[in-house]
Amino acid sequence: MIELKNLSCSFEDKRVLQNISLTIAQHLCILGANGSGKSTLAKALCGLVTYEGDIFLDERSINSFSLIEKAKAIAYIPAKLEIYDAHISVQDFILLGRFAYKKSFFEYAHKDVEMVKETLEFLNISRLKHNLLNELSSGEQQLVLIAQALVQQSQIIIFDEPTANLDPKNSKIIAQHIKELKKNHNIILITHDLHFAAYIDSPVAFIQEHALHYYEDDFFTDTRLEELYGVSFDGLAVQYD
Amino acid sequence: MVLALMVWRCSMIRFFIWFFLIGIFLLSAFIGAVDISPKELLDADSLSSTIFYDLRIPRVLFGFFAGAILALSGLVFQTLFRNALMTPYTLGISSGAVLGAGIAIKLGLSTLAFGIAAVSVFGFVGALFTVFLLLYLSQFLRQTQQTSLLLLGIALSLFYTSLLMIIFYLGSAIQNDMLMRFTMGSLSIIGWKYPLILGMAAFILFLFSYLYRFELQLLSISQEQAQLKGVDTKKTTLRLLIVTSLAIGILVSISGPIGFVGLIVPHMVEKLYPQIISKRILKTSIFGGLFLVMCDTISRAIQTQSELPIGIITALIGGPFFIYLIVKAK
Repeated sequence: MIELKNLSCSFEDKRVLQNISLTIAQHLCILGANGSGKSTLAKALCGLVTYEGDIFLDERSINSFSLIEKAKAIAYIPAKLEIYDAHISVQDFILLGRFAYKKSFFEYAHKDVEMVKETLEFLNISRLKHNLLNELSSGEQQLVLIAQALVQQSQIIIFDEPTANLDPKNSKIIAQHIKELKKNHNIILITHDLHFAAYIDSPVAFIQEHALHYYEDDFFTDTRLEELYGVSFDGLAVQYD
Repeated sequence: MVLALMVWRCSMIRFFIWFFLIGIFLLSAFIGAVDISPKELLDADSLSSTIFYDLRIPRVLFGFFAGAILALSGLVFQTLFRNALMTPYTLGISSGAVLGAGIAIKLGLSTLAFGIAAVSVFGFVGALFTVFLLLYLSQFLRQTQQTSLLLLGIALSLFYTSLLMIIFYLGSAIQNDMLMRFTMGSLSIIGWKYPLILGMAAFILFLFSYLYRFELQLLSISQEQAQLKGVDTKKTTLRLLIVTSLAIGILVSISGPIGFVGLIVPHMVEKLYPQIISKRILKTSIFGGLFLVMCDTISRAIQTQSELPIGIITALIGGPFFIYLIVKAK
């Protein structure tokens, strides 16, 4: 369980979230306009941005977590991986997810390598294991990032716009995996894709003008979306004409 | 089939490069202004054997350790800042050492305590001062603005150079000659003291980089990724920067600035071995050492009035490579 208490965040000197309080029982889908602070909220959760207020994870303040403990608790999957050194194979990259479990200064254990192998098989991407990271398509990259989060064995997985760069077929594959992961993990999903969000079917947090509106269910109606986004909808799709 | 052929060709290239570099390394001590034949070495009292054991061998080892430090510090800097152009040299740390040395020469200081040359002490202080100045200034940059740090380093370098010009302008002919020689970088050393000091510095730098190989691996992806996987990025970066800068400070204070090795060797090794960083640390160190010994051997083999400063050779090879890197990055 995650609790946000009076959380305020800024992004590049601009206040984006003001005094937010929220309890995330299991899953959450974060929606909102561009620049409304969705990613900032997610980054605050994993300690990448500073904030005022407090975040509790199972009734313990997240400030008291060490970086290693935080990595074991929360995994964050970006929309696209910015990578400087591309000379790393998929297998080695996924193995990095085990860093928090590794003895300092020593090599990764055999157990870690086995876990990577099993996860690759589980996600059906064993064929990619020797490929270099920069050779992958966006869809494959997203799957590899999921694999890395899985070997990290964190209870909470945050997806930051996982389908933003994907074609319909890959979007479907990723969406199905995320739905499956909901059974054993707490999933926090940020997206602009309303059909996708409706399929994942989690409680919704809508961020608007620094504030957060929480909807336990029946968020996905055209009237509500019209009210929140200010454009007309038909069957969760934007009306262009 | 094609793949097997490519692998075979690649390992042949690697084999020839290593064979060539190690060959030069082994022959290096026999090459120079005085030709030495192995026969003369049997006579312990001969001039040749004095030159061989007290000048040539220490110099080859000194060059090896210097190259290893330069190459490894280049790799560490490039990884920590995720920028191919980041090296102690491009960031102005070497220029800091030169300015320090320049001040010592201008003030006419010769030796300080424990028989260590004042030029070395001032050079060391200059290098470290620059590192801390850069670290201090980098606090005002956003995490993503790595290019700005590079620009800061370049600005510092230019500023130092103009201060050095003032020293040149005010200096006597003898002082200017000393300063000029230091600026061009040289591996001319006498005796075993400096190779031993540098060997220790190289070992400590290697040990640190090796112990932090997995942290470096994660940092080479991105700072965010490293932090999310549990790396204390600030602490790791600071520790590695300080150890690297100490090693570079020691080296530059003795040899003067030697450019381009830190820049090009990590890239050469990366091309030869497209592997993860943790597997390239040892290879980069050894390759850097052998590469600098090769450059030094060339500088001694070319017979001129006095020997060609090593900085000229490395810059002659490195300059075009630098341009190639920039053009390729576009």
